[in-house]
Amino acid sequence: MQIKKTKENQKLTISISGRVDTPSAMEFEESVFETLDGVTELVFDMKDMSYLSSAGLRVILIAYKQMKKQGKMKLVNVSDDIRDILDMTGFTDLYTIG
Amino acid sequence: MRMLTKRPPGIAFRATFAVILPLGLFGLLICVIGSLFFTDTYKKHYSETTYHMAYAATTLLYGDHIDDYLKGERKEEYEQCREDLYDNCQKINAAIIYVIKVDVSDYESFVSVFDIIDNEVSNTDYTEWELGSRRKAHTKEYSENYRLLYEKKIDYATIYREHKTDGTISYFTTMVPVENEAGDVTAILCVQRPMRELIQMRKHFLINIFVFTFIISVLTAMFAAFYIKHRLTAPIKKVADEAVRFAEENTKREPLGRISNYLELQNLAESIDKMESDMTDYMGKLMVATAERERINTELSVAAKIQGNAVPNVFPAFPDRADVDIYASMTPAKEIGGDFYNFFFIDEDHLAMIIGDVSGKGIPAALFMMVTNILISDRVKMGGSPAEILAWVNNSICDNNQAHMFVTLWLGVLELSTGIVTAANAGHLDPAICRQNRGFELYKTKHGLVVGAIGGITYTDYEIRLFPGDKLFLYTDGLPEATNCNERELTLDGMLEVLHTCGKESPKGIVSAVHAGVERFMDGNYQFDDLTMLCVEYRGAKLWQTFTIKADIEQVPCVTEILDKFVTGYNCPIKLRQQLELALEEAFVNIARYAYPDTEGDVQISLSATAREMIIILEDGGIPFNPLEREAPDITAPGEKRKVGGLGILMIKKNVDTLDYRYENNRNILTIKKRM
Repeated sequence: MQIKKTKENQKLTISISGRVDTPSAMEFEESVFETLDGVTELVFDMKDMSYLSSAGLRVILIAYKQMKKQGKMKLVNVSDDIRDILDMTGFTDLYTIG
Repeated sequence: MRMLTKRPPGIAFRATFAVILPLGLFGLLICVIGSLFFTDTYKKHYSETTYHMAYAATTLLYGDHIDDYLKGERKEEYEQCREDLYDNCQKINAAIIYVIKVDVSDYESFVSVFDIIDNEVSNTDYTEWELGSRRKAHTKEYSENYRLLYEKKIDYATIYREHKTDGTISYFTTMVPVENEAGDVTAILCVQRPMRELIQMRKHFLINIFVFTFIISVLTAMFAAFYIKHRLTAPIKKVADEAVRFAEENTKREPLGRISNYLELQNLAESIDKMESDMTDYMGKLMVATAERERINTELSVAAKIQGNAVPNVFPAFPDRADVDIYASMTPAKEIGGDFYNFFFIDEDHLAMIIGDVSGKGIPAALFMMVTNILISDRVKMGGSPAEILAWVNNSICDNNQAHMFVTLWLGVLELSTGIVTAANAGHLDPAICRQNRGFELYKTKHGLVVGAIGGITYTDYEIRLFPGDKLFLYTDGLPEATNCNERELTLDGMLEVLHTCGKESPKGIVSAVHAGVERFMDGNYQFDDLTMLCVEYRGAKLWQTFTIKADIEQVPCVTEILDKFVTGYNCPIKLRQQLELALEEAFVNIARYAYPDTEGDVQISLSATAREMIIILEDGGIPFNPLEREAPDITAPGEKRKVGGLGILMIKKNVDTLDYRYENNRNILTIKKRM
């Protein structure tokens, strides 16, 4: 898993590539939350994400709950495989995907 | 009961008529006889009386002077006589008194001497005959009587004349001879009197008899009706009412007892009493018998349960085995039967399969089946070849087989690593085999004698080599001998035909299809014999890869790698592989997180695949935890309320086809299956 973060003003774009499994989800979680202060718009770019386990879903859910307080969050470039996982767990209805 | 539209009249009503009719006829008969008798008696009496009157009148005449009167002589004496006769005529209330001299040459004619007429008596308008006028005798009867009187053969004669048709008054004439001094008959004196009196008296007599008979008839009929009603109808009604009551209520009541003085009626009442008493006794006995039958039925249904549970009946039988699939069914003709099947693993590599059919049906067969099943199952577990096992079972049963029952048995042991079935057959039907979905055929071998017939028999082992995908179908004679309404049997060929249509199905599919096929064939006919089937599919040698990994989240990449390597050997779509990966990771992480809270432990991961599915088994020695019982998280809750936990298990469930959890020997065993 590789994480790339781009910040423009108060908009933070996090691009994740590779596999987000349980061990890497911890790194993912740390990486997200260390830069979340003052962010009003959070974008997860999932273009190159090949795998997402429940641990990864958990990180995204925590980020969503945080962003509800300080702004908005959306997922972009969601592949079909990842969308299946989101569908399966009912998150498609919750998140803004586009 | 359908009511009669027209009810017949009662006994009393009928009996009244039955009495009135004969009495009426009897009355009529009495009238006729009485009338005849009365008339006869009256005539005799009248005739005698008139004779005396006539005789008295002759004394007024002088028999010697008759011819003188006719010559016109002695005129004074003649007139005197005439007056005397006239007085006499009025005195005796006669209509006519006349004296005639009959012509004795032929008695056919006469000349009139005196003719005294009193027209008032009968309201007539006769005129007197002239003295000496000649007349013909009225009838032959008259002339005959004249002759008899002249010849002195009779003292007097009476002639009756009844005008039945013209209504003129009937009368009768009594004639007596008039004699001279010498005693010779010189003339005949006739007295004619009307019969009015007789007719009137007879009328009275008849009216009296008629009225009397009528009154008697009516009184008798009334009495009969009253009597019948009280003595016959009332008791009969009592009996009938009681019969109706009993039919409706079916309960015993006070017996009717003595209801009549007539033997027949009393017998009827006693019959009803006895019938009620017998019926209630019978119903009581019937209730006891019914209760007994219900008890037996309950016992039989429990026995059926016991019998059903004496053989493995939970399917899939070996969910964690990829190398074999087996399915069986047992359908007794009655509640319990003499057929049975059994299968179990003797060790990891050997699957024993047994099918048997005890002679006969019902309870004896079921008891014998239970004994045989236990004997053979236990003996199989002790080891030995099927032929040895059958020989031993045969000897055990023959040792004490007082009932002389026997059982056909087929015993086969499938070695899963090689696909070789070693089998022995004790009089059982040949199994059918299906090679790689190519359709079933019988696998014929020589049979040994049935088990239980004679002790000390040996059996012969034979081998069937199964290749992956091959199926073996075992059955009892209830299948080929299934009979339809036209008494036609399914036969072995018919069975193979049915099997042919479903050769590509799984064992469960085959057994179900054959069941349906047999039912279609029987077309609602009664199932005469127990029907048992067992089908096994050999899916190939066991290809398990087992790894033991430390239960640590850090090991997830290692687990993923194991799966990747395993899956590479199969033509597995990426999508399927990813789903399997997700399920495996979530299952592993679950164990790594929670199974060993205070210590370190391992997870054993076993992987296998068949042509149909991938199988992953995760085992750990941690705290017992059944992920299947974990409540699913609400995936429709609003964002703030979404729980982060539970998602992992949801993802396992969603990504695989079968999930099975067991806790055995202090180990959690989770089996994941994914269809290819």
